[in-house]
Parts: sequence; C-alpha cells; structure tokens
Amino acid sequence: MNHIIYMSRAVRPLSDQDLHELLEQCRRDNALHNVTGILFYSHGNIAQLIEGEPDIIGPLYEKIARDGRHSNVHKLADKPITERSFPGWSMAFHPLEPQGFHELTDFLLPEAVPESPSTLTIADALILDLVRQAVFNTERSASSAAPTLSSGGA
Amino acid sequence: MQHQQLQHILKHVPAGIATLLGPELRFSFANEAMQTLLGGKPLQDQKLADQVDILTPELVEVMQQVYQAGTQFVAKAYGLKHALSEAAEDEVPRYFDIALEPLKDEHDAVQGLLVFVLDVTQQALAQQRAHELARETRRLDARLRVLTETAPQIIFTVDAEGRFEYVSPQWYYFTGQPTTADLNLIWPLLIHPDDRLRVMYQSESARKAGVGWSYEYRLRRHDGQYRWMLSRALPELHVPDKPVFWHGAVTEVNDQRELSEALRRGEAELRFLADSIPQLIWTATSQGFIDYYNQHTLAYSGLSGEQLGPTGWISLLHPSEQNLGARRWVHSVATGEDYEGLFRMRRNDGEYRWHIIRARQLADSRGPRWFGSCTDVDDQHRLREVLQAQYDELARTNRDLDTFVYTASHDLKQPLHNLRGLFDELRRAATFQDEEASVMLEMLDDSLSQLDVTLQELAATVQEQRQLNVPAETIDLQSVTEEVLLGMRPQVQETNATIELNFAAAPKLLYGRANLRSVLHNLINNALKFASPLREPRICVSSALSETGKPLLRVEDNGLGMKPGDAGDGMFQVFDRQHPHIAGAGVGLYLLQRIVNSRGGHIEVDSTPGTGTRFTVYWFE
Repeated sequence: MNHIIYMSRAVRPLSDQDLHELLEQCRRDNALHNVTGILFYSHGNIAQLIEGEPDIIGPLYEKIARDGRHSNVHKLADKPITERSFPGWSMAFHPLEPQGFHELTDFLLPEAVPESPSTLTIADALILDLVRQAVFNTERSASSAAPTLSSGGA
Repeated sequence: MQHQQLQHILKHVPAGIATLLGPELRFSFANEAMQTLLGGKPLQDQKLADQVDILTPELVEVMQQVYQAGTQFVAKAYGLKHALSEAAEDEVPRYFDIALEPLKDEHDAVQGLLVFVLDVTQQALAQQRAHELARETRRLDARLRVLTETAPQIIFTVDAEGRFEYVSPQWYYFTGQPTTADLNLIWPLLIHPDDRLRVMYQSESARKAGVGWSYEYRLRRHDGQYRWMLSRALPELHVPDKPVFWHGAVTEVNDQRELSEALRRGEAELRFLADSIPQLIWTATSQGFIDYYNQHTLAYSGLSGEQLGPTGWISLLHPSEQNLGARRWVHSVATGEDYEGLFRMRRNDGEYRWHIIRARQLADSRGPRWFGSCTDVDDQHRLREVLQAQYDELARTNRDLDTFVYTASHDLKQPLHNLRGLFDELRRAATFQDEEASVMLEMLDDSLSQLDVTLQELAATVQEQRQLNVPAETIDLQSVTEEVLLGMRPQVQETNATIELNFAAAPKLLYGRANLRSVLHNLINNALKFASPLREPRICVSSALSETGKPLLRVEDNGLGMKPGDAGDGMFQVFDRQHPHIAGAGVGLYLLQRIVNSRGGHIEVDSTPGTGTRFTVYWFE
C-alpha cells in the first residue's frame, strides 16, 4: 500500500458544474480501483492525497499529472504506508451555490474537514496540514498571487 | 419591322436612354430604365426642368449648356442621390456614367439631346474601396516603419540564402557602421570570434530546416565592446512553398545576462557556504515545504534529502515535541511570523541533542521563502542545567543556614534572658568571700552582654539578607544619612563626635533603601565604636565618582585604626574582631560585605593604627 500527495493549479477556475463532474468521476473511478483519500479545492488551488496499491495509484498519478485541466503538478509524498488513513474518498471545497451540494455524499465543506488522521506519520500529517492551509488560506494566496498576475500584462 | 426591333431593343437595354427635344428639352422618348430611374412616371412631353429633384440642378444646367453649345459631354461616375434603380431600396447615392449627345438636323442645327445613363455604382464603390485600402496600407506601413525604427531592437529580414533583405537603422547606431556598409560581409565580422562559427551554423541549419531560431551571441558595439545579444527569427510561410524570408529581432541582453550570471554565482556561493557550515541549514517554500537541506543536515540526520522529504525534519524531533513543533510551523507559515523554538533533534546515532530552531520569511520580488537554521546548543544546555541545579542547591542551603541562624539566635535569647535573671538574683542573694569575686562578676556580666549583642546582630544579619532582593530606587544620600544619624543620636552625643556630610559630588544613588541604611549605620557605628580615647572623634561621610565614573561612598575617622589582616578580606570574616576589648560581635563588617557584594560592589579599607581608618564602598564595581 502506498500513498501520494500532490498540489497543483487549475488552468482555469472550476465552476460548480466542473466540481460536480469531477466529484462524480473520481467517486466512480476510485471506488472501482479501491482508491481512498481526500481532495482539497479552492480558488484554483488543488491538493489531493490518494492511497491504494502502488500499481494502481502510480499510473493514476501519471494520468492526473497529464490532465490538461491543471498545471504545476508538484508531488510532495510518494511512499509505502502500513494502513489506510481514509475510509473512503472525499472532496472538500467551497461551492458557489452550496444548496445543491449538501445532499452529495463524499462532499465536505473545508470547515468540516477533520484533523489529519493519527495513522499518518507526523511528517505526512504536517504535509497534509500545510497543503490544506495552502489551498484554503485564500486571502494570503490571493494577495501573494496578485503581483505575478499583474506582471504578465502589457 | 426593323424600326420595331430597334424600339424593342432600346426599351429593354439595362441603361437609361432618352431623347429630349426643343429648347425646353422635353422628353420625346425614354426607355423603361430611364423611366424607373426618374421615379417610374411616364415622361412623354415632360420638361427636363421638372426632373430637377432627381437629376440635380447642376446636371440640368449642364444639359442645357450642352444643348446650346452643341458639343457632346460625358460625366463619369456622377452621384445621383435620389435616383431609383431596380436594385435601390433606400437613398444611398448611386453613381452613373452620363453621356450627353446633341441631336442635329441635316443643317447641323441642334434639335435636342440624346441622353445615355449607365449605372456604374458597383464599379465606383469598388474603386472607392480600393482607394481606402491603399490608404490604410500606407498607414499601416508607416506605423510598422515607426515601430520598427523606434523599438530598442535591431529588426531584420533575411532570405533563404541568409542575405539581408532589410535591417532597421538601429543596427547602424549600435555597430557605428556607415549606412553604405555591406551587411552581408560586415555583420559576421562583428560577431565575437568565439561565437561566430556557432551562430553561422545555427542560423544556416535553421534556414535549411525552414524553422525559426533563438540564440545568444556577443556583437561588437560602436565603442568596440562586445555585448550579449539575443537573436530570434521566424520564417514567413506561404504554404505549401518553402519559406523565402525570415523576420526577426536582435535584442541586447547583456545586463540581464550579467545579472543572472551574478545571481547564479551568488546562489552557488551561498549554497557552498551553507554546505560548509557545521549547522543545520534549510530553505522552504512559501507554503512551508522544505526544498533544500544543507550537507550538515544530511550528515547529522544520516538521511538523504529524499528520505527527509518536504516535512521530514519534524520526525527528527523528540516524539514528545513533534506536535508542538508542527503546530508552530503551520502557524508561522500562515502568519509569516518568525519560527523559534528549543527542541531535541535526533542524531544519526540515535542521541537526541538540544537545538535552537529558527526560521524567518524573506519576502522579495521572487515571492516569499523561508530560511531556517538549527543550532546545536546541547553542551550549553546541559551545562546550564547542571549550573542551575547547583545554584538551586546552594540557594536552598543558604536559606536553610539563614533560617538556622535566625532560629538559633532567637531560641538562645530566652535561655540567655533566664541566665541573666538568675545571675542578677544570685548576685543579690549570695555573698562572695573571694576578693577577686567582684572582678569575676564584672567579667561575667560583660560576657553576658556580649552574648546578647552577638545574638542580636546574628538575627539582624539574617534579616538584612532577606532584604537583599528589595528593588533599587533612587535615593538622596543626604536625607538618608541624616535619618540614620537621628537614630544614633545617643551614641553621637555620648562620644561628642563631629560628623561631616558631603554628598555634593554624587548626591543620588540607585540602591536598595534598607541596604543603604544598613551600610551607613554600620560604618558610622563602627567609626564611633572604635574612636580613640585620646581625641574627640571626627567622622567624615562623603560620596564621589570613581575613576570609571561609578558612584562610591567614603567614611573616614580619626579613631584607633586597624592592623592589616592576614588576607585582604580577613577583617570581614564573621566573628573576627579587631578590638576585643570593645563590645561587639564582629558581625557588622561581615554583613556589610555581604550586602555590597551581593549587589555587585566591594569595600576597600585603608587604615593606620592610632591614626584612623577610611572605608571606601564601591557600589557597583
């Protein structure tokens, strides 16, 4: 059993519809391959932890990395684990229209994301805490991203 | 028959035909096209002047002039605003070629006009468009020229053989070559010899392959200096032909190149420095993931950079400190606050050593990054722990001793009191035969008094000791000394002593009030106690600044004086008495010593037996 943690940037911001489709697609694929974990999304920032058999999640990561919907895919961890830390697969984000999402299974509001599981090593739990902060701490990331955006003009 | 055919043809030709007869120019014949053009009404016998709405007064005037002059006239692409042709739906101007031919009789006299009107609107519009297009092309051309010639770059066009088709004037400014220079010959010669062959090869192979290029080389400037240039070009493609021209620009990148070179060098040097330091050094991204560990970190932990990973340092901490360390790091990354903590870190042999971990965020134009270090303070930490333990032990012992002394002196008071009572009772009730008895009784009395004083002073010492921790305040020496003297008035009067006070040189002192009173009391008391019986005591109390500018206190007397002790500080040992015949426990000076020393000062004594003594208290040195 292995797990992989990565961060990336969506090429364009994902709409509620996009997120909904992504959720459906991942739920289907992950259930089929017995892949568990969690995905964080906010303001174009993506982070995901996936756990499963190495010959499943290795190619899965390769496929994700090649997906044209995001770029700057940066792997933070890829190593054997003794047990799963997530019972299923779920996704946490701020929908623009929260009404339709509450009934969805596998969906979490970022505030509802539980503490990093104690089955993770301290180093991996710290990675998860830092990626969650990097994804959802939007005020800071927005202010730090602003100069790079404006310097692209003219 | 022929006439009918002619009528038919005239009726249907797609051009307006009409004949106008007589000086009033009345319509005699007008075909369908002409009728439509003039509004669709029948024109037979109508006067030309009635059609002025459509034909414009100007045209009517011209037609009348042609009739009078008798010479033909053709108006090309004449605009008729209200003309209606088959296609016309709204009032856009339409254009016509209008031919006016005088009709003459056999005597060459003008009878009327033959009018021939051909709709040339399409041609006229096409011509107009062509004209506008040409103007737009000229405008674009001018703009391109301005842009090409003002851009801070050399713009060029080369053909498939590499011959220069065009180069913007900047090339001449940059190289300082005359405009007559042969570009194809000179340009390669201006390229730095070390780059020339490479540039020629790269450009030629790009042209052969029909692709663009982008390379850097050094070009000689007008002042002879070689400057780094970036040359980029793209082929002009006309599918499916092979490209014929390459258009491109040469940009000076010397400064950027030198800057990035300096940056690279600086970074390499910094990394080398970081790798040479026997400290754990690391850098992290703005999100808090470590992207560099120095050599020493790897050596210390015995792990590779890959094994450590972006957060692996946390697993080096002592298990009991990992959660705290991680929480603080997440907080620092979120807020940008400095990270600082004292943690135990595991060495490659499994030993945990104390480290101060510090990290600071650098926010510059390249975005925020973290720089951190872990300093091994294990030896200092252990030494401090040992010292602290010893200090605690000493302080406790000291406290115990003080308590013992205080309790003992207190507990002894009662038996002494009893002893004194019993002795007085005994002296009153009993009679002594021995003639030395009165001397012995007196000695016994003295001893008891002395024991009493000793006990009192011992108690005072401990009391004083407990006041050492009182905070310092700024004290006026004059008033405090007067207060102390007031309390000693009986002794002063009894000895008839003269006491001079002089605090002009340093009137104030920052000290514990009770301690200062003790010091003054003891020194003045001492001077009074050891006054010489041969003269009236004179005591001088003064303040001054030492050579180093720190305050000091002097108490000088003209008393008995002392012998110098065995050691410099011999006279300050507890119970050591200089003058055994004078009552006192010998505790006073010892007490002084402790007070002054504990606040970082010392006392010096200068004394001549039989002349006098001078005490100097250096408060802070």
